[in-house]
Amino acid sequence: MLHVTAAFLFVGGSVAAGILNTLAVRSELPSEIAALLGLIRRTLPVIFVGVFGTLLFGVWLWHDLHYSLGAAWIWLSLALWVVANALGGIGGRRQEQTRKLAERLAGEGDRPSSELHAALRDPVAHALNYGAGLATLAILALMVWRPGS
Amino acid sequence: MNLALYVHLLGTMTLFGAALTALVTSLAGLPGPTARALLVAVPAWVLALVGGHWLQHDLHLGDSNATWLQLGRNILEPGVLVLLLAIFASWWWVRSANPRAGRVTAGLSGIYIALLAVAWLAMTGKWS
Repeated sequence: MLHVTAAFLFVGGSVAAGILNTLAVRSELPSEIAALLGLIRRTLPVIFVGVFGTLLFGVWLWHDLHYSLGAAWIWLSLALWVVANALGGIGGRRQEQTRKLAERLAGEGDRPSSELHAALRDPVAHALNYGAGLATLAILALMVWRPGS
Repeated sequence: MNLALYVHLLGTMTLFGAALTALVTSLAGLPGPTARALLVAVPAWVLALVGGHWLQHDLHLGDSNATWLQLGRNILEPGVLVLLLAIFASWWWVRSANPRAGRVTAGLSGIYIALLAVAWLAMTGKWS
């Protein structure tokens, strides 16, 4: 129950961050973009509790349910957990730079800016965020199918 | 069965994420983003419902009256009224800019999140 609750917080919090980012990309005014990117920080406690809860309760379940130490699906899930967090963390730092740019532009007249829109549509940031999302979906698939167990 | 469970989990987790976004944006006083976030909840709810019925069929749980299953069913099916009310409140807020509509939207989003939490705790803990 605790492991699944942590998974809900991890995935649900990531979905919320993704929706806020998408809403920011579709917005025009720097003030609105800064507000939406700033709200992503409010979802971080939910994501962090989920991230650490899935690891902690997952390892506990590993021991409790007597899964083999060599269970490939668990090791693969752990590797994807690291990948998802690394990509999400790097993507989040780029998002924070974009938020700061939006805040500065909001204070300088709050007019739509091509520089800000280029930062919002940065392909590297998109690749990092989508990569983190795909890794999370793959972890969920491994938890459901448990191949080889 | 596994695909049904995956679809159900994906739907419910996305539903929780969309409701969480609506709560955060409504508390920040942003009507447009709140309404759009709540619209994301609609396809997520459909996914959760389809996955739930599919799973119920595969596990032959159609006639079961287990508490955990009843709670999950009632929160997903009649419980969608809370989500629909939140969507209507958010559109009222977009059209009227009335702060009371924003407070109603935030309250309904919070209630819906609490209902979803009860459902996932009941279903994973197999409450009897």
